[in-house]
Amino acid sequence: MAREHVIGRVGDLPEGHHRVVRAANRELGVFNIRGSFHALPNLCPHQRGPLCEGGVSGTIDYGPHTDWKLAWIWEGEVVTCPWHSLEFHIPTGQCVAFNDIRLRTYEVRVAEGELRVVI
Amino acid sequence: MATDVSPRETGGGRRETLADLFVVDADVHVHEDPGELAEYADPPWDVALREIAKVEERYLDLPGISPRAEYRVPFPGGSNRRQIVTSARELRGGLDALHVNHAVLFPDHLLSLAMVRDPEFATTLAVAYNRWLYERWLTEEPSLSGALVIAPQNPIAGAEDIRRYAGRREFVCVYLPASGLKILYGHELYDPVYEAAAETGLPVVIHSVEAVYPAFPFQLEQFRTSLAVHALAHPLSMIANLVSMLETGVPIRFPELKIGFMEAGTAWVPFLANRLDKEYVERRREVPLLQETPSRTMRRFFYGTQPVEEPERRSDVVAQFELFDGENQAMFASDWPHHDFDHPQHVFGLPFAPEARRKIMGLNAARFFGLDVPG
Repeated sequence: MAREHVIGRVGDLPEGHHRVVRAANRELGVFNIRGSFHALPNLCPHQRGPLCEGGVSGTIDYGPHTDWKLAWIWEGEVVTCPWHSLEFHIPTGQCVAFNDIRLRTYEVRVAEGELRVVI
Repeated sequence: MATDVSPRETGGGRRETLADLFVVDADVHVHEDPGELAEYADPPWDVALREIAKVEERYLDLPGISPRAEYRVPFPGGSNRRQIVTSARELRGGLDALHVNHAVLFPDHLLSLAMVRDPEFATTLAVAYNRWLYERWLTEEPSLSGALVIAPQNPIAGAEDIRRYAGRREFVCVYLPASGLKILYGHELYDPVYEAAAETGLPVVIHSVEAVYPAFPFQLEQFRTSLAVHALAHPLSMIANLVSMLETGVPIRFPELKIGFMEAGTAWVPFLANRLDKEYVERRREVPLLQETPSRTMRRFFYGTQPVEEPERRSDVVAQFELFDGENQAMFASDWPHHDFDHPQHVFGLPFAPEARRKIMGLNAARFFGLDVPG
């Protein structure tokens, strides 16, 4: 059954920051995106790299949905694996390069000044 | 893309793990700081190197030494991995984390040595690098072996340097830089290098690097993206140099010489072997020296695994290795710490037969480089 695991204080993870934590015997990356908290496994499905130790940025998009113009999208919402640069959209876990790869995401709750991840 | 992390993975029985094997990494990169090289360089080039050391380094991009035109458009994030290692101790620690027992060291900046335009400076860089590598890395840590760099601009000096270290087991191969090479390695110009290598028992290894440089087989200035340039630079460089060496009969003229090809994956090997065999049927009289099909000669060459192919069906890699006798001729290489390195666990985890896996992960490299296999 899913339960909450305390992973730190809210004040320790300001907006635009992320870090790797351990909870329930697994490593997760926890991200503060404009005051909203997200968590992903710290495990890249490509070659098992420490995904969430990578940097966070936006990314580039292009196609009919951008009116065939290069667009900078998802500013602050994309984590790039430090090993081979595979990108993931943090709020959804969606791999940017491969439509069929989506990481599990974990709910992060805020209560009593604590960050709690639901596993 | 085949992924390493799959919900279908199960345990079951005691299986051989990576830690059980003798793992040789045939391609690891050290970072040669120009200020440090200055201490090993003959005058007046030490002065130039100290000047270069004042310039802020970019990844494998330094004026004078690795003159690579930067072509990436600098958006934030994305493929920005810029890891370097600067000491034997740091490297040993990194390799321990990867479960690598023994590693062969190649340079960072000197990957671009063939593009250095002043031949005297290129020669000085190679000689200084070898001295520096020998003193600062190879004598520090016996599980690290060196690739002795020669400047293709001066094969005579390269041959002298090979003989200078003859009999010292710290160097286990000669490195032939291939990126931006003006004259391919089959040319008789390089015979002194092959003579010296064969005489001292050192294999030669060809290794390229991504660069935008208007020299055959590149012409990569035509492309807009790193995807295109990086995909083509390495294998085209290997293909061109291998064909050149076959054409002039390097492996026949120097039968003792062992030849290896690094950092281009291996999918190109069966393609090229079949293509050349087809030509050989019709044009044998142009290459009477060969006396056998090119594919047979190619089966005596060795090939680094990295960047290992990642087809959707992992078993396709095994099938592809069978096409060039990879069980006996492929050497695990990580390219660590560069941006496109392969983790040994990934190659280990491919569905090779256990004996083939042991050879690919270390025993083939031990045979190629002449390394002692423990116990």
